[in-house]
Amino acid sequence: MAENILVIGGGPAGLNAATMLSELGVNVTLVERDSFLGGNPKKFKYKFLFPDMQPADNVIGELIKKAEAAGNIKVNYSSEVSDFKENGKKFDATIKSADKSEIKTFDSVIVATGFEHFDPARDAKYSYQLFDDVIDIKDLERMMGENNLLRPSNGKPPKKVAFILCVGSRDRHVGNQYCSRVCCTVSVKQAIELREHFPDCEAYIFYMDIRTYGFFEDLYWKSMEEYDVQIVKGRVAEITSGPDNTVVCKGEDTLLRGPFEIQFDMVVLASGMEGGPQSPEISKKLGIELDEHGFLKPENVTLSPFKSNKDGIFLAGACTGPKAISDSITEGAAAAMNAYTYAVKNR
Amino acid sequence: MALEKNESRPVAEKGEHIIARHLIDDDSIKEEKNLVIDGVDVSGRWNTFILSRVDSEFDRSFFNEIKETVVGSRINRCWQCGMCTASCTVTPLYRRFNPRAFIYMMQLGNLKELKKYIDVAWRCVGCYKCSQRCPKQVNPAEMMEALALVVKKYFPEEVETKLKLDEEVKKIYEDMILGHGRLDLAKLHTSSMQKAGRAKELLGRIERDAIFKMAKDGRAFSILKLGKPRGWGRSKDAIENYLKNLKTIERNTD
Repeated sequence: MAENILVIGGGPAGLNAATMLSELGVNVTLVERDSFLGGNPKKFKYKFLFPDMQPADNVIGELIKKAEAAGNIKVNYSSEVSDFKENGKKFDATIKSADKSEIKTFDSVIVATGFEHFDPARDAKYSYQLFDDVIDIKDLERMMGENNLLRPSNGKPPKKVAFILCVGSRDRHVGNQYCSRVCCTVSVKQAIELREHFPDCEAYIFYMDIRTYGFFEDLYWKSMEEYDVQIVKGRVAEITSGPDNTVVCKGEDTLLRGPFEIQFDMVVLASGMEGGPQSPEISKKLGIELDEHGFLKPENVTLSPFKSNKDGIFLAGACTGPKAISDSITEGAAAAMNAYTYAVKNR
Repeated sequence: MALEKNESRPVAEKGEHIIARHLIDDDSIKEEKNLVIDGVDVSGRWNTFILSRVDSEFDRSFFNEIKETVVGSRINRCWQCGMCTASCTVTPLYRRFNPRAFIYMMQLGNLKELKKYIDVAWRCVGCYKCSQRCPKQVNPAEMMEALALVVKKYFPEEVETKLKLDEEVKKIYEDMILGHGRLDLAKLHTSSMQKAGRAKELLGRIERDAIFKMAKDGRAFSILKLGKPRGWGRSKDAIENYLKNLKTIERNTD
């Protein structure tokens, strides 16, 4: 008899886990809270992915296609795990959607509930939602996906754009002390895309550190050396309105030790990643541990980052911390392997 | 509005009435000693302004201008790590000579800040240690040449006044090379001191002793015996020709 494995979350990690398990002949039940697959990349219409600028559809679209084509993956859209109980070495889960709810027994579980973009409106100093021309990286990504890079306020091409890093990350004031890892690279990528789209538009990046780790550094170098993106050291402390429908970034240039108040046409906030409300929720429901940052806690961050503290429940993707899409896909595969091994052992 | 200058009235020092005067830079205080607006005398403290330190513009046209030059073409590469300043020969001597900061000011078009460094902006000795160590191959040594060009172009008056002595010494140096085909350090020193109005210092005790010693052991005379390099005439022509061309180029770019 084939194993039954539950995958919670249909983003890059969950999709890859489900697909790999289906290839092993496992019956996969995929629970997705939205009415579509693909997670945040799909929801916010990411257009091109770093580091090689390939269309997001090449990756996300491919994962969705594979999952949909597999005969043994049962996708439950707009649904959630409403009740969860251990049953010996197995698990009984109630999967609830708008019109029905059913109880099933699973051999093992993969949690891939992902992350939420930090909502910059929570940090009032950035005046997000107050000014139309203050947007964040997910908004810009969506605008790019919709082929509309014009200023939200007046529909004109921007001439001067600021990217502000570490919004909602590395800031005790908003309660997030961690680095969200990908926002630097995303911002650099978007600055390149912006300069490519509007060669007359100046792009500035306000930074404290630029953390384009590993080979993502190539993109950072490219942005400066080929696209003349200017980096300015200092975190912006306030965004106010300026004359001629501009927004003013106020901060300190820490290299010259002088204050600045510069007018921009558009400001892009590099908002970070958060565990979202789903992480504590799933942690409570499944009885797995939550860490101090609001993400799910792996059993051992180095040895088994894909395992929860409970046997038979595995973790994959950004639910355990900020992560690039490639890392989520890798973890999806790792969790699939472990969930399968557990299921076979306890057959 | 009618503005007239009333020259007759004696007024206090600039910004003297500001209570915490010592906290404010001289350049930041704007005050007309004698000023009458619409017949009202607003001389001195009645027209004082303290200028804000806040930078309100990034002037990218300046960056583009530098990028167009041969020496400054890699300005877009600099990420401000400070390796250039750390390896600089000059920085340990003058705190205000900081290649890293100069490049940043050029990137952001911060002329207001650059202006403060006109007197030191030229002090690169061209050792190229910075260019050898720069992790992004910005070539800071040549960037300092770009800086010199910029300073000369945007602040000709300040260069004229603040670098008057430097220009004169340069002239002495050039004449010496062209005339004799070699450098006479003793002569360069004395001529420069004369230009600086410090000739008296040349006759101090230490100097007198040195001259006496050199005359005694014959070194003073051996210097005089040094002739011109062989075939100097042709080299001289080449150098003069180069300098002439350089001046034509400079005139054309202005």
